[in-house]
Amino acid sequence: MADANAAFTSPRDRLAEWGGTAVDLGGAAGRACGYVARDPVLAIVAVVLGLLALIALFGPEVWGIDPLSIDLLVSLEGPSWAHPMGTDGNGRDVFARFLQGARISLSVGALVVITGLVVGGTMGLMAGISGRVVDNILMRVIDALAAFPPLILAMAITVGLGVGLDTGAFGIMLTSVPYYARLIRSDVVRIRALPAIEAAVAMGASRPRVVLRHIVPHTTSTMLIQSAAVFGYAILTLAALGFVGLGAQIPEPEWGAMITDGLQYALTGQWWIAVFPGLGVLLAVVATNMLADRARDLLDPHGQQASV
Amino acid sequence: MFSLVLGRLTASVVALFGASVLAFVVLRVTPGDPARLFLGPFATEETVAELRRKLGLEMPLVEQYVNYIADFLQGDWGFSYTTGETVAVQLARRFPATIELGLYAFILAFVFAVGLALVAAYRRGSPSDGAIRALSFFGLGVPPFWFGLIALVVFFEQFGWLPGPDGRLDLARDPPPDVTGLFTVDALIAGQFATLGDALLHLVLPAITLGLLPFAFLLRLLRANLLDVSREPFITVARSKGMSRWGAFLKHALPNAFLPTLTAAGLLLGQLLAGSVLVEKVFNWPGAGLLVTDGILRQDFSVVQAFILLSAVVYVVANLIVDILTGVIDPRVRQPARLG
Repeated sequence: MADANAAFTSPRDRLAEWGGTAVDLGGAAGRACGYVARDPVLAIVAVVLGLLALIALFGPEVWGIDPLSIDLLVSLEGPSWAHPMGTDGNGRDVFARFLQGARISLSVGALVVITGLVVGGTMGLMAGISGRVVDNILMRVIDALAAFPPLILAMAITVGLGVGLDTGAFGIMLTSVPYYARLIRSDVVRIRALPAIEAAVAMGASRPRVVLRHIVPHTTSTMLIQSAAVFGYAILTLAALGFVGLGAQIPEPEWGAMITDGLQYALTGQWWIAVFPGLGVLLAVVATNMLADRARDLLDPHGQQASV
Repeated sequence: MFSLVLGRLTASVVALFGASVLAFVVLRVTPGDPARLFLGPFATEETVAELRRKLGLEMPLVEQYVNYIADFLQGDWGFSYTTGETVAVQLARRFPATIELGLYAFILAFVFAVGLALVAAYRRGSPSDGAIRALSFFGLGVPPFWFGLIALVVFFEQFGWLPGPDGRLDLARDPPPDVTGLFTVDALIAGQFATLGDALLHLVLPAITLGLLPFAFLLRLLRANLLDVSREPFITVARSKGMSRWGAFLKHALPNAFLPTLTAAGLLLGQLLAGSVLVEKVFNWPGAGLLVTDGILRQDFSVVQAFILLSAVVYVVANLIVDILTGVIDPRVRQPARLG
């Protein structure tokens, strides 16, 4: 993070630099544009994610057809100009449902990332800066959460709290907490040993100031990389929950539930009901995974691997 | 070594205790009234209260938890509200099918991941490396149940090359005499080669579908490890002794690249367990996963609850074994120096 000639600058400058580089957001945005321009794969990923975000934000209103409105006269019709993705068994427009599904999946993904980051990140930070007792208690809670395979824990939550989209999202949020907490804790433990922190303490910085101004900013790249990975994981798991019947319930236009609904028609020739929502999941998850992968190469070449 | 085993064992027991409390709180305390759920909306208040007493729901929570764990450890996992059978019997009958599917999925995933990771690392930066990396991104991002559906549409409905979603054997064929519960093994033992072929054909699509995620995961991990190891000085030494590049890769890089992969074996098992719930539904594979999705569909959650706690146990134990094995193989892990 420090320049090669950092040894020749004054401690105060060095400290400013170490504290400053990781949160230089204006420069980061500029650099990000530069990376995209130079990297065709990253450019494609950015375009796909941008399109999905546009669809999720404006799609349902622009297309204007109710994803739940039933019209039995046009049931099970293949893709046409009127219904670009065909219609399902009750004559609902699959394209309208696809658009609404994008909104559901992307907002749940964003929600999981934000809540997981806040809860898991805080736990990891607390564990990392506290003494052994607090560290141990927090990490044992994390161990208990991580004792289930992720999808199974999300299933347990929905079975317990009642089936549905919101409980499903909550379950996925809970499964994302260990990923954040463990990664950020080990990051914080590493950062705590940096000379910059020692210098800040030696210069009389208060403990909250050291934590907020000097430790937290250094975890930014870890948090960004991990968030991209968790975003894709959340979308995939939401679809899985919807598919087994524990997440969104069938008429709801959620991608996983749409695939379940299409299951019965797929082998009799009406492939479009299940194929398009699955394609949406595939695109969203692969694009975010590739983004996470590239972000890791660019932001954190020697760091740990974020993974879900 | 002893302290490593002891430390990991304690950590696992603590994790399992936490997980069981979590499962107890989520599955036993929060949902409405199990007695009401069982008796239905038309039962009188008195009958519900009596059943609550019988089920031990009036006892203090700590006592309820102890009973819950005692029952679980004794294999008393409740009974299905719809079929009346005990959950243990049902799960025991279904597990061989899940194990057979998981076994073939794992073998496929492992063989292809090792092979392709070797090619990708050997020709890093080439188009074949790019294609292999794209394949791993696909495997990590595709919903397995959707992939299975597409595979069925193409290979069963369109071309008719492979059997459809009708379980482990053709409907007209009797299962082989039961020895291991794995149809392919049992058919081989009994010498019923037609049955063996049929069982294998039925396994192709489900095993590929279930194996896709572990395959992609392993492939990514192995490729990265191989690239790391291939930069080590001992590879340069092997090459300068006149060893061919492939020789150095196979003999020196691959064995060393396996170690970090071993630590991920527990994760792989978790993927296979969770994946079986998704994949078995698509293929009507009569395993434990299908039992779970059927239970969800019929609102019969006792099977689901047992499966959830059981997978936590299997997952934690697998991770414990992996940790200890890693310590046995790699002396560096045995050092107590733990920084993070």
